[in-house]
Amino acid sequence: MSLNTDFMVKVAHTAIQGVPVTLQIVLVALLISLPVGCLFALIRIYRIKGLEQIVKLYVSFVRGTPIIAQILIVYSAFPSLLNMIIGKAAFSINPIYYAYIVFTLNSIATLTEVFRSALQTVDKGQLEAGLMVGMRPRQIFWRIILPQALISALPNITNATLYLMKNSSLAFIMSVKDITAIAKTEAAFNYNFLEAYLVVWVYYLIICYSAEVIFYLLERYFSKYRRSTKKTTYFNWQPFSIKQPNVSAEAELTESGRGDHAQNRRIKKKL
Amino acid sequence: MLKIEGLRKSYDGNEILKGISVDVSKGDVISIIGPSGSGKTTLLRNMTTLEQADGGHIQFADVDKDFQKLSSKDIQTIRRNVGFVFQNYNLFNNKTALQNITEGLIVARKVNKSEAKKIALEALERVGLSDRQNHYPSQLSGGQQQRVGIARAVALNPKVIFFDEPTSALDPELVGEVLKVMRDLAESGTTMVVVTHQMNFARNVSNKVIFMADGHIVEQGSPESIFEHPSEKRTQEFLTDILANV
Ligand SMILES: Nc1ncnc2c1ncn2[C@@H]1O[C@H](COP(=O)(O)OP(=O)(O)OP(=O)(O)O)[C@@H](O)[C@H]1O
Ligand SMILES: [Mg+2]
Repeated sequence: MSLNTDFMVKVAHTAIQGVPVTLQIVLVALLISLPVGCLFALIRIYRIKGLEQIVKLYVSFVRGTPIIAQILIVYSAFPSLLNMIIGKAAFSINPIYYAYIVFTLNSIATLTEVFRSALQTVDKGQLEAGLMVGMRPRQIFWRIILPQALISALPNITNATLYLMKNSSLAFIMSVKDITAIAKTEAAFNYNFLEAYLVVWVYYLIICYSAEVIFYLLERYFSKYRRSTKKTTYFNWQPFSIKQPNVSAEAELTESGRGDHAQNRRIKKKL
Repeated sequence: MLKIEGLRKSYDGNEILKGISVDVSKGDVISIIGPSGSGKTTLLRNMTTLEQADGGHIQFADVDKDFQKLSSKDIQTIRRNVGFVFQNYNLFNNKTALQNITEGLIVARKVNKSEAKKIALEALERVGLSDRQNHYPSQLSGGQQQRVGIARAVALNPKVIFFDEPTSALDPELVGEVLKVMRDLAESGTTMVVVTHQMNFARNVSNKVIFMADGHIVEQGSPESIFEHPSEKRTQEFLTDILANV
Protein backbone atom coordinates (compact mmCIF):
# COMPACT_ATOMS: atom_id res chain seq x y z
CA MET A 1 0.00 0.00 0.00
CA SER A 2 1.36 3.39 -0.90
CA LEU A 3 0.06 6.79 0.05
CA ASN A 4 -1.21 9.09 -2.63
CA THR A 5 0.87 12.11 -1.66
CA ASP A 6 -0.46 14.39 -4.38
CA PHE A 7 -3.91 13.83 -3.01
CA MET A 8 -2.69 14.55 0.50
CA VAL A 9 -1.31 17.91 -0.60
CA LYS A 10 -4.63 18.67 -2.26
CA VAL A 11 -6.62 17.77 0.87
CA ALA A 12 -4.23 19.80 2.96
CA HIS A 13 -5.03 22.78 0.76
CA THR A 14 -8.79 22.47 0.94
CA ALA A 15 -8.98 21.40 4.56
CA ILE A 16 -7.06 24.46 5.66
CA GLN A 17 -10.25 26.40 5.03
CA GLY A 18 -11.71 24.45 7.91
CA VAL A 19 -9.06 25.62 10.34
CA PRO A 20 -10.69 29.02 11.01
CA VAL A 21 -14.02 27.25 11.53
CA THR A 22 -12.53 24.93 14.12
CA LEU A 23 -10.78 27.83 15.83
CA GLN A 24 -13.97 29.88 15.80
CA ILE A 25 -15.92 27.16 17.53
CA VAL A 26 -13.22 26.83 20.15
CA LEU A 27 -12.87 30.56 20.70
CA VAL A 28 -16.59 31.27 20.95
CA ALA A 29 -17.08 28.37 23.33
CA LEU A 30 -14.14 29.47 25.48
CA LEU A 31 -15.02 33.15 25.58
CA ILE A 32 -18.52 32.41 26.80
CA SER A 33 -17.79 29.47 29.04
CA LEU A 34 -14.88 31.04 30.93
CA PRO A 35 -16.90 33.79 32.64
CA VAL A 36 -20.05 31.68 32.90
CA GLY A 37 -18.12 28.73 34.30
CA CYS A 38 -16.55 31.05 36.86
CA LEU A 39 -19.96 32.39 37.82
CA PHE A 40 -21.38 28.89 38.15
CA ALA A 41 -18.43 27.89 40.30
CA LEU A 42 -19.16 30.82 42.61
CA ILE A 43 -22.79 29.80 42.78
CA ARG A 44 -21.70 26.39 43.93
CA ILE A 45 -19.07 27.60 46.36
CA TYR A 46 -21.31 30.18 48.00
CA ARG A 47 -24.23 27.76 47.87
CA ILE A 48 -26.65 30.24 46.42
CA LYS A 49 -30.06 28.82 47.18
CA GLY A 50 -31.99 27.40 44.25
CA LEU A 51 -29.32 28.19 41.69
CA GLU A 52 -26.86 25.83 43.30
CA GLN A 53 -29.10 22.83 42.62
CA ILE A 54 -29.64 23.87 39.03
CA VAL A 55 -25.92 24.24 38.37
CA LYS A 56 -25.24 20.92 40.02
CA LEU A 57 -27.86 19.19 37.90
CA TYR A 58 -26.63 20.86 34.75
CA VAL A 59 -23.03 19.86 35.36
CA SER A 60 -23.93 16.27 36.08
CA PHE A 61 -26.12 16.05 32.98
CA VAL A 62 -23.35 17.30 30.75
CA ARG A 63 -20.62 15.32 32.40
CA GLY A 64 -22.68 12.17 32.56
CA THR A 65 -23.56 12.00 28.87
CA PRO A 66 -21.36 11.50 25.80
CA ILE A 67 -20.82 14.64 23.78
CA ILE A 68 -22.13 12.89 20.70
CA ALA A 69 -25.49 12.51 22.39
CA GLN A 70 -25.47 16.19 23.30
CA ILE A 71 -24.70 17.10 19.72
CA LEU A 72 -27.50 14.96 18.37
CA ILE A 73 -29.99 16.33 20.86
CA VAL A 74 -29.12 19.98 20.24
CA TYR A 75 -29.01 19.44 16.50
CA SER A 76 -32.41 17.82 16.38
CA ALA A 77 -34.12 19.87 19.07
CA PHE A 78 -33.02 23.41 18.32
CA PRO A 79 -34.04 23.73 14.66
CA SER A 80 -37.57 22.55 15.34
CA LEU A 81 -37.78 24.69 18.46
CA LEU A 82 -36.67 27.71 16.48
CA ASN A 83 -39.06 26.73 13.72
CA MET A 84 -41.92 27.28 16.13
CA ILE A 85 -40.65 30.77 16.91
CA ILE A 86 -39.22 32.15 13.70
CA GLY A 87 -40.71 29.79 11.13
CA LYS A 88 -38.97 28.22 8.17
CA ALA A 89 -35.95 30.51 8.46
CA ALA A 90 -34.82 28.25 11.28
CA PHE A 91 -33.65 25.63 8.81
CA SER A 92 -31.40 27.98 6.89
CA ILE A 93 -29.37 29.02 9.94
CA ASN A 94 -25.68 28.36 9.54
CA PRO A 95 -25.14 25.14 11.49
CA ILE A 96 -22.03 26.59 13.09
CA TYR A 97 -24.38 28.29 15.57
CA TYR A 98 -25.51 24.92 16.76
CA ALA A 99 -21.90 23.97 17.18
CA TYR A 100 -21.36 27.11 19.26
CA ILE A 101 -24.29 26.12 21.46
CA VAL A 102 -23.24 22.52 22.03
CA PHE A 103 -19.60 23.19 22.67
CA THR A 104 -20.31 26.20 24.86
CA LEU A 105 -22.80 24.29 26.97
CA ASN A 106 -20.33 21.46 27.21
CA SER A 107 -17.33 23.48 28.26
CA ILE A 108 -19.33 25.55 30.74
CA ALA A 109 -19.83 22.34 32.68
CA THR A 110 -16.16 21.40 32.52
CA LEU A 111 -14.97 24.87 33.46
CA THR A 112 -17.43 25.15 36.34
CA GLU A 113 -15.68 22.22 37.94
CA VAL A 114 -12.25 23.60 37.02
CA PHE A 115 -12.98 26.95 38.63
CA ARG A 116 -14.62 25.40 41.62
CA SER A 117 -11.53 23.50 42.56
CA ALA A 118 -9.26 26.40 41.62
CA LEU A 119 -11.13 28.90 43.77
CA GLN A 120 -10.97 26.51 46.65
CA THR A 121 -7.22 26.11 46.42
CA VAL A 122 -6.78 29.77 47.34
CA ASP A 123 -6.23 29.74 51.06
CA LYS A 124 -9.12 31.41 52.84
CA GLY A 125 -6.72 33.05 55.26
CA GLN A 126 -6.01 35.64 52.61
CA LEU A 127 -9.65 36.65 52.67
CA GLU A 128 -9.43 37.19 56.41
CA ALA A 129 -6.20 39.10 56.03
CA GLY A 130 -7.91 41.32 53.47
CA LEU A 131 -10.81 41.95 55.82
CA MET A 132 -8.42 42.89 58.58
CA VAL A 133 -6.74 45.53 56.44
CA GLY A 134 -10.18 46.97 55.78
CA MET A 135 -10.84 45.66 52.27
CA ARG A 136 -14.37 44.72 51.24
CA PRO A 137 -15.06 41.09 50.36
CA ARG A 138 -15.69 42.13 46.74
CA GLN A 139 -12.35 43.92 46.50
CA ILE A 140 -10.58 40.94 48.01
CA PHE A 141 -12.25 38.62 45.53
CA TRP A 142 -11.24 40.61 42.45
CA ARG A 143 -7.77 41.63 43.55
CA ILE A 144 -6.53 38.66 45.56
CA ILE A 145 -8.61 35.51 45.20
CA LEU A 146 -9.63 35.51 41.54
CA PRO A 147 -6.17 36.24 40.07
CA GLN A 148 -4.70 33.36 42.03
CA ALA A 149 -7.57 31.04 41.17
CA LEU A 150 -7.23 31.81 37.47
CA ILE A 151 -3.57 30.97 37.49
CA SER A 152 -4.00 27.77 39.40
CA ALA A 153 -6.80 26.89 36.97
CA LEU A 154 -4.63 27.43 33.89
CA PRO A 155 -3.35 23.86 33.54
CA ASN A 156 -6.90 22.54 33.71
CA ILE A 157 -8.15 25.25 31.38
CA THR A 158 -5.45 24.12 28.96
CA ASN A 159 -6.71 20.58 29.15
CA ALA A 160 -10.30 21.67 28.74
CA THR A 161 -9.31 23.67 25.67
CA LEU A 162 -7.48 20.75 24.12
CA TYR A 163 -10.48 18.52 24.67
CA LEU A 164 -12.69 21.18 23.20
CA MET A 165 -10.49 21.38 20.10
CA LYS A 166 -10.53 17.67 19.60
CA ASN A 167 -14.24 17.34 20.32
CA SER A 168 -14.99 20.12 17.89
CA SER A 169 -14.10 17.63 15.16
CA LEU A 170 -17.51 16.11 15.84
CA ALA A 171 -19.12 19.24 14.47
CA PHE A 172 -19.25 17.57 11.06
CA ILE A 173 -22.25 15.66 12.37
CA MET A 174 -24.11 18.97 12.33
CA SER A 175 -22.81 19.56 8.79
CA VAL A 176 -20.44 22.28 9.97
CA LYS A 177 -17.62 22.60 7.43
CA ASP A 178 -14.68 22.29 9.76
CA ILE A 179 -11.36 20.53 9.07
CA THR A 180 -12.79 17.08 9.59
CA ALA A 181 -15.87 17.66 7.45
CA ILE A 182 -13.89 19.01 4.51
CA ALA A 183 -11.39 16.16 4.61
CA LYS A 184 -14.18 13.64 4.86
CA THR A 185 -15.89 15.04 1.79
CA GLU A 186 -12.67 15.02 -0.18
CA ALA A 187 -11.97 11.48 0.88
CA ALA A 188 -15.42 10.28 -0.10
CA PHE A 189 -14.97 11.63 -3.61
CA ASN A 190 -11.73 9.82 -4.20
CA TYR A 191 -11.89 6.87 -1.83
CA ASN A 192 -8.55 7.93 -0.34
CA PHE A 193 -9.72 7.84 3.22
CA LEU A 194 -6.45 7.13 4.96
CA GLU A 195 -4.67 10.01 3.24
CA ALA A 196 -7.41 12.45 4.09
CA TYR A 197 -7.54 11.35 7.71
CA LEU A 198 -3.79 11.58 8.09
CA VAL A 199 -4.02 15.20 7.02
CA VAL A 200 -6.74 15.81 9.59
CA TRP A 201 -4.63 14.13 12.18
CA VAL A 202 -1.66 16.39 11.46
CA TYR A 203 -3.79 19.52 11.52
CA TYR A 204 -5.23 18.75 14.94
CA LEU A 205 -1.81 17.87 16.20
CA ILE A 206 -0.45 21.23 15.11
CA ILE A 207 -3.40 23.18 16.51
CA CYS A 208 -3.39 21.43 19.85
CA TYR A 209 0.34 21.67 20.17
CA SER A 210 0.26 25.41 19.46
CA ALA A 211 -2.47 25.89 22.03
CA GLU A 212 -0.43 24.01 24.55
CA VAL A 213 2.58 26.23 23.95
CA ILE A 214 0.48 29.39 24.21
CA PHE A 215 -1.04 28.28 27.49
CA TYR A 216 2.32 27.28 28.82
CA LEU A 217 3.69 30.75 28.07
CA LEU A 218 0.66 32.36 29.71
CA GLU A 219 1.09 30.24 32.75
CA ARG A 220 4.77 31.00 33.02
CA TYR A 221 4.17 34.68 32.61
CA PHE A 222 1.39 34.97 35.15
CA SER A 223 2.67 32.62 37.79
CA LYS A 224 5.86 34.53 38.39
CA TYR A 225 4.74 35.03 41.97
CA ARG A 226 4.61 31.30 42.54
CA ARG A 227 8.16 30.62 41.50
CA SER A 228 10.49 30.62 44.40
CA THR A 229 13.94 31.70 43.28
CA LYS A 230 15.32 28.30 42.45
CA LYS A 231 12.48 26.24 41.12
CA THR A 232 11.38 26.81 37.52
CA THR A 233 9.25 24.52 35.47
CA TYR A 234 10.08 24.07 31.83
CA PHE A 235 7.76 23.30 29.02
CA ASN A 236 7.73 19.72 27.94
CA TRP A 237 8.38 20.17 24.25
CA GLN A 238 7.31 16.66 23.34
CA PRO A 239 3.90 16.92 21.73
CA PHE A 240 2.47 13.94 23.54
CA SER A 241 2.50 15.39 27.00
CA ILE A 242 -1.21 16.09 26.92
CA LYS A 243 -2.53 15.24 30.32
CA GLN A 244 -5.94 14.00 31.32
CA PRO A 245 -8.03 16.68 32.97
CA ASN A 246 -7.55 16.68 36.65
CA VAL A 247 -10.71 18.47 37.49
CA SER A 248 -12.08 17.30 40.78
CA ALA A 249 -8.82 16.53 42.52
CA GLU A 250 -9.00 19.30 45.07
CA ALA A 251 -12.69 19.93 44.95
CA GLU A 252 -13.64 19.17 48.51
CA LEU A 253 -10.85 21.08 50.20
CA THR A 254 -12.77 23.77 51.98
CA GLU A 255 -16.42 23.15 51.44
CA SER A 256 -17.39 25.33 54.35
CA GLY A 257 -15.51 28.24 55.76
CA ARG A 258 -14.77 26.24 58.80
CA GLY A 259 -12.04 24.06 57.38
CA ASP A 260 -9.63 26.88 57.48
CA HIS A 261 -9.80 27.66 61.12
CA ALA A 262 -9.49 23.97 61.77
CA GLN A 263 -6.44 23.96 59.56
CA ASN A 264 -4.91 26.78 61.58
CA ARG A 265 -5.16 24.65 64.60
CA ARG A 266 -3.57 21.69 62.93
CA ILE A 267 -0.35 23.53 62.24
CA LYS A 268 2.21 21.89 64.40
CA LYS A 269 2.94 23.78 67.51
CA LYS A 270 6.51 24.62 68.32
CA LEU A 271 7.09 25.86 71.82
CA MET B 1 -9.19 52.06 75.12
CA LEU B 2 -10.53 48.62 74.18
CA LYS B 3 -12.90 46.98 76.56
CA ILE B 4 -14.58 43.62 76.10
CA GLU B 5 -17.13 42.30 78.56
CA GLY B 6 -18.78 38.91 78.88
CA LEU B 7 -17.75 37.66 75.43
CA ARG B 8 -19.41 34.32 74.64
CA LYS B 9 -19.02 32.03 71.68
CA SER B 10 -20.28 28.53 70.92
CA TYR B 11 -19.71 26.19 68.04
CA ASP B 12 -22.37 23.57 67.45
CA GLY B 13 -23.64 23.92 71.00
CA ASN B 14 -20.20 23.71 72.61
CA GLU B 15 -19.47 26.85 74.52
CA ILE B 16 -15.85 27.73 73.73
CA LEU B 17 -15.74 31.19 75.29
CA LYS B 18 -17.69 31.39 78.51
CA GLY B 19 -17.83 35.08 79.22
CA ILE B 20 -14.48 36.72 78.73
CA SER B 21 -13.67 40.26 79.77
CA VAL B 22 -10.53 42.01 78.62
CA ASP B 23 -9.43 45.56 79.18
CA VAL B 24 -6.68 46.94 76.97
CA SER B 25 -5.15 50.34 77.70
CA LYS B 26 -3.01 52.37 75.37
CA GLY B 27 0.56 51.09 75.30
CA ASP B 28 -0.35 47.74 76.85
CA VAL B 29 1.42 44.63 75.71
CA ILE B 30 -0.81 41.81 76.82
CA SER B 31 0.19 38.18 76.47
CA ILE B 32 -2.51 35.55 76.43
CA ILE B 33 -1.28 32.11 77.39
CA GLY B 34 -3.04 28.84 77.98
CA PRO B 35 -3.30 25.23 76.90
CA SER B 36 -4.21 24.23 73.37
CA GLY B 37 -7.93 24.35 72.75
CA SER B 38 -8.60 26.81 75.57
CA GLY B 39 -10.09 29.30 73.13
CA LYS B 40 -7.30 31.82 72.61
CA THR B 41 -7.59 31.98 68.84
CA THR B 42 -11.37 32.07 69.10
CA LEU B 43 -11.11 34.99 71.52
CA LEU B 44 -8.94 37.01 69.14
CA ARG B 45 -11.14 36.25 66.16
CA ASN B 46 -14.26 37.30 68.03
CA MET B 47 -12.74 40.44 69.52
CA THR B 48 -11.74 41.58 66.03
CA THR B 49 -15.12 40.66 64.46
CA LEU B 50 -13.60 38.03 62.18
CA GLU B 51 -16.29 35.89 63.70
CA GLN B 52 -19.54 36.96 65.23
CA ALA B 53 -19.74 36.50 68.97
CA ASP B 54 -22.91 35.10 70.55
CA GLY B 55 -22.88 37.55 73.40
CA GLY B 56 -20.89 40.26 75.11
CA HIS B 57 -20.14 43.93 74.82
CA ILE B 58 -17.40 45.86 73.07
CA GLN B 59 -16.25 49.38 73.73
CA PHE B 60 -13.66 50.50 71.21
CA ALA B 61 -13.02 53.39 68.85
CA ASP B 62 -16.45 54.96 68.39
CA VAL B 63 -18.27 51.74 69.08
CA ASP B 64 -19.99 50.95 72.37
CA LYS B 65 -22.37 48.07 71.73
CA ASP B 66 -23.28 44.47 72.23
CA PHE B 67 -21.49 42.22 69.76
CA GLN B 68 -24.76 40.98 68.37
CA LYS B 69 -25.95 44.48 67.61
CA LEU B 70 -22.93 45.60 65.62
CA SER B 71 -23.89 47.13 62.31
CA SER B 72 -21.68 46.60 59.29
CA LYS B 73 -20.47 50.17 59.78
CA ASP B 74 -19.45 49.35 63.36
CA ILE B 75 -17.64 46.27 62.14
CA GLN B 76 -15.82 48.36 59.58
CA THR B 77 -14.85 50.86 62.30
CA ILE B 78 -13.52 48.12 64.53
CA ARG B 79 -11.56 46.49 61.72
CA ARG B 80 -10.10 49.82 60.70
CA ASN B 81 -8.64 50.27 64.13
CA VAL B 82 -7.14 46.86 64.68
CA GLY B 83 -4.28 45.04 63.03
CA PHE B 84 -4.08 41.26 62.90
CA VAL B 85 -0.99 39.10 62.54
CA PHE B 86 -1.87 35.52 61.70
CA GLN B 87 -0.22 32.31 62.76
CA ASN B 88 0.39 31.29 59.17
CA TYR B 89 1.06 34.83 57.89
CA ASN B 90 -1.78 34.89 55.35
CA LEU B 91 0.13 37.16 53.00
CA PHE B 92 -1.46 37.88 49.63
CA ASN B 93 0.45 35.39 47.51
CA ASN B 94 0.01 37.26 44.25
CA LYS B 95 1.47 40.46 45.66
CA THR B 96 5.04 41.43 46.47
CA ALA B 97 6.10 42.28 49.99
CA LEU B 98 5.62 45.95 49.22
CA GLN B 99 2.23 45.43 47.54
CA ASN B 100 1.06 43.35 50.49
CA ILE B 101 1.41 46.48 52.58
CA THR B 102 0.19 49.07 50.08
CA GLU B 103 -2.90 47.02 49.17
CA GLY B 104 -4.86 47.92 52.29
CA LEU B 105 -3.62 51.50 52.24
CA ILE B 106 -4.63 52.09 48.64
CA VAL B 107 -7.77 49.99 48.34
CA ALA B 108 -9.29 50.39 51.79
CA ARG B 109 -7.86 53.64 53.08
CA LYS B 110 -7.75 55.44 49.73
CA VAL B 111 -4.22 56.68 50.36
CA ASN B 112 -2.63 57.76 47.08
CA LYS B 113 -0.08 55.46 45.52
CA SER B 114 3.11 57.35 46.19
CA GLU B 115 2.14 58.09 49.76
CA ALA B 116 1.19 54.44 50.28
CA LYS B 117 4.53 53.33 48.91
CA LYS B 118 6.34 55.67 51.26
CA ILE B 119 4.44 54.34 54.27
CA ALA B 120 5.01 50.76 53.16
CA LEU B 121 8.74 51.28 52.72
CA GLU B 122 8.96 52.73 56.21
CA ALA B 123 7.09 49.74 57.59
CA LEU B 124 9.38 47.34 55.75
CA GLU B 125 12.35 49.18 57.12
CA ARG B 126 11.02 48.78 60.64
CA VAL B 127 10.94 45.02 60.23
CA GLY B 128 14.32 44.99 58.49
CA LEU B 129 13.14 43.93 55.05
CA SER B 130 13.79 46.97 52.86
CA ASP B 131 15.85 44.82 50.52
CA ARG B 132 13.01 42.35 50.02
CA GLN B 133 10.30 44.75 48.89
CA ASN B 134 9.91 43.17 45.44
CA HIS B 135 9.92 39.57 46.59
CA TYR B 136 6.78 37.50 46.48
CA PRO B 137 5.80 35.57 49.61
CA SER B 138 6.93 32.32 47.96
CA GLN B 139 10.41 33.81 47.72
CA LEU B 140 10.61 34.66 51.42
CA SER B 141 11.42 32.52 54.43
CA GLY B 142 8.72 31.97 57.04
CA GLY B 143 10.33 34.49 59.35
CA GLN B 144 10.49 37.08 56.59
CA GLN B 145 6.89 36.42 55.62
CA GLN B 146 5.77 36.93 59.18
CA ARG B 147 7.73 40.17 59.37
CA VAL B 148 5.93 41.37 56.24
CA GLY B 149 2.71 40.33 57.97
CA ILE B 150 3.66 42.52 60.91
CA ALA B 151 4.65 45.40 58.63
CA ARG B 152 1.29 45.11 56.88
CA ALA B 153 -0.50 45.53 60.20
CA VAL B 154 1.79 48.31 61.44
CA ALA B 155 1.50 50.37 58.25
CA LEU B 156 -2.20 50.96 58.83
CA ASN B 157 -1.35 52.51 62.17
CA PRO B 158 -4.07 50.68 64.13
CA LYS B 159 -4.89 51.35 67.76
CA VAL B 160 -4.21 47.73 68.72
CA ILE B 161 -2.37 44.92 66.94
CA PHE B 162 -3.47 41.36 67.65
CA PHE B 163 -1.00 38.51 67.18
CA ASP B 164 -2.18 34.91 67.07
CA GLU B 165 0.82 32.74 67.85
CA PRO B 166 2.98 34.63 65.38
CA THR B 167 5.96 32.30 65.76
CA SER B 168 4.26 28.91 66.07
CA ALA B 169 4.51 28.02 62.40
CA LEU B 170 8.18 28.95 62.19
CA ASP B 171 11.27 26.84 62.28
CA PRO B 172 13.01 27.41 65.62
CA GLU B 173 15.92 29.32 64.09
CA LEU B 174 13.52 31.87 62.59
CA VAL B 175 11.59 32.59 65.77
CA GLY B 176 14.15 35.05 67.07
CA GLU B 177 13.95 37.54 64.21
CA VAL B 178 10.17 37.81 64.56
CA LEU B 179 10.29 38.17 68.33
CA LYS B 180 12.87 40.89 67.96
CA VAL B 181 10.57 42.88 65.68
CA MET B 182 7.74 42.44 68.16
CA ARG B 183 9.93 43.52 71.01
CA ASP B 184 10.92 46.66 69.07
CA LEU B 185 7.27 47.42 68.45
CA ALA B 186 6.45 46.98 72.11
CA GLU B 187 9.27 49.29 73.09
CA SER B 188 8.09 51.96 70.69
CA GLY B 189 4.74 52.03 72.48
CA THR B 190 2.57 49.92 70.14
CA THR B 191 -0.47 48.47 71.88
CA MET B 192 -0.37 44.72 71.39
CA VAL B 193 -2.41 41.66 72.34
CA VAL B 194 -0.35 38.55 71.76
CA VAL B 195 -1.40 34.93 72.00
CA THR B 196 1.85 33.10 72.50
CA HIS B 197 3.59 30.01 73.72
CA GLN B 198 6.84 31.98 74.00
CA MET B 199 7.08 32.28 77.75
CA ASN B 200 10.14 34.51 77.49
CA PHE B 201 8.17 37.03 75.52
CA ALA B 202 5.21 36.86 77.91
CA ARG B 203 7.44 37.32 80.84
CA ASN B 204 9.95 39.89 79.65
CA VAL B 205 8.14 41.98 77.09
CA SER B 206 4.52 42.17 78.14
CA ASN B 207 3.18 44.24 80.99
CA LYS B 208 0.17 42.01 81.56
CA VAL B 209 -0.40 38.28 81.22
CA ILE B 210 -3.75 36.55 80.85
CA PHE B 211 -3.95 32.84 81.52
CA MET B 212 -6.88 31.13 79.83
CA ALA B 213 -8.24 27.63 80.20
CA ASP B 214 -11.50 26.03 79.05
CA GLY B 215 -12.97 29.24 77.79
CA HIS B 216 -12.40 31.16 81.00
CA ILE B 217 -9.79 33.62 82.09
CA VAL B 218 -8.34 31.77 85.04
CA GLU B 219 -5.97 34.44 86.17
CA GLN B 220 -4.45 37.68 84.97
CA GLY B 221 -1.89 40.13 86.23
CA SER B 222 1.64 41.37 85.87
CA PRO B 223 4.18 38.90 84.46
CA GLU B 224 5.83 38.69 87.86
CA SER B 225 2.63 37.79 89.64
CA ILE B 226 1.67 35.15 87.07
CA PHE B 227 5.08 33.57 86.67
CA GLU B 228 6.42 33.94 90.22
CA HIS B 229 3.33 33.54 92.38
CA PRO B 230 0.43 32.15 90.37
CA SER B 231 -2.49 31.94 92.73
CA GLU B 232 -4.49 29.34 90.82
CA LYS B 233 -3.63 25.67 90.68
CA ARG B 234 -4.41 25.51 86.92
CA THR B 235 -1.88 28.24 86.25
CA GLN B 236 0.79 26.53 88.30
CA GLU B 237 0.25 23.24 86.50
CA PHE B 238 0.30 24.85 83.10
CA LEU B 239 3.50 26.75 83.81
CA THR B 240 5.23 23.73 85.26
CA ASP B 241 4.28 21.73 82.19
CA ILE B 242 5.27 24.28 79.64
CA LEU B 243 8.51 25.30 81.31
CA ALA B 244 9.52 21.67 81.63
CA ASN B 245 9.08 21.29 77.89
CA VAL B 246 11.25 24.20 76.82
N1 LIG C 1 -14.85 27.02 63.58
C1 LIG C 1 -14.94 26.13 64.59
N2 LIG C 1 -15.88 25.17 64.58
C2 LIG C 1 -15.98 24.29 65.60
N3 LIG C 1 -15.17 24.28 66.66
C3 LIG C 1 -14.21 25.21 66.72
C4 LIG C 1 -14.04 26.18 65.70
N4 LIG C 1 -13.01 26.97 66.04
C5 LIG C 1 -12.57 26.52 67.21
N5 LIG C 1 -13.27 25.47 67.63
C6 LIG C 1 -13.08 24.75 68.90
O1 LIG C 1 -12.89 25.71 69.89
C7 LIG C 1 -11.91 25.29 70.83
C8 LIG C 1 -10.90 26.38 71.02
O2 LIG C 1 -10.18 26.57 69.83
P1 LIG C 1 -9.07 27.67 69.68
O3 LIG C 1 -8.50 27.51 68.33
O4 LIG C 1 -9.64 28.97 70.03
O5 LIG C 1 -8.03 27.24 70.77
P2 LIG C 1 -6.60 27.84 71.06
O6 LIG C 1 -6.58 28.19 72.50
O7 LIG C 1 -6.28 28.89 70.08
O8 LIG C 1 -5.67 26.60 70.85
P3 LIG C 1 -4.24 26.49 70.23
O9 LIG C 1 -3.27 26.84 71.31
O10 LIG C 1 -4.15 25.06 69.84
O11 LIG C 1 -4.19 27.41 69.06
C9 LIG C 1 -11.35 24.00 70.30
O12 LIG C 1 -11.89 22.96 71.06
C10 LIG C 1 -11.81 23.93 68.89
O13 LIG C 1 -12.07 22.61 68.53
MG1 LIG D 1 -4.85 29.09 68.49
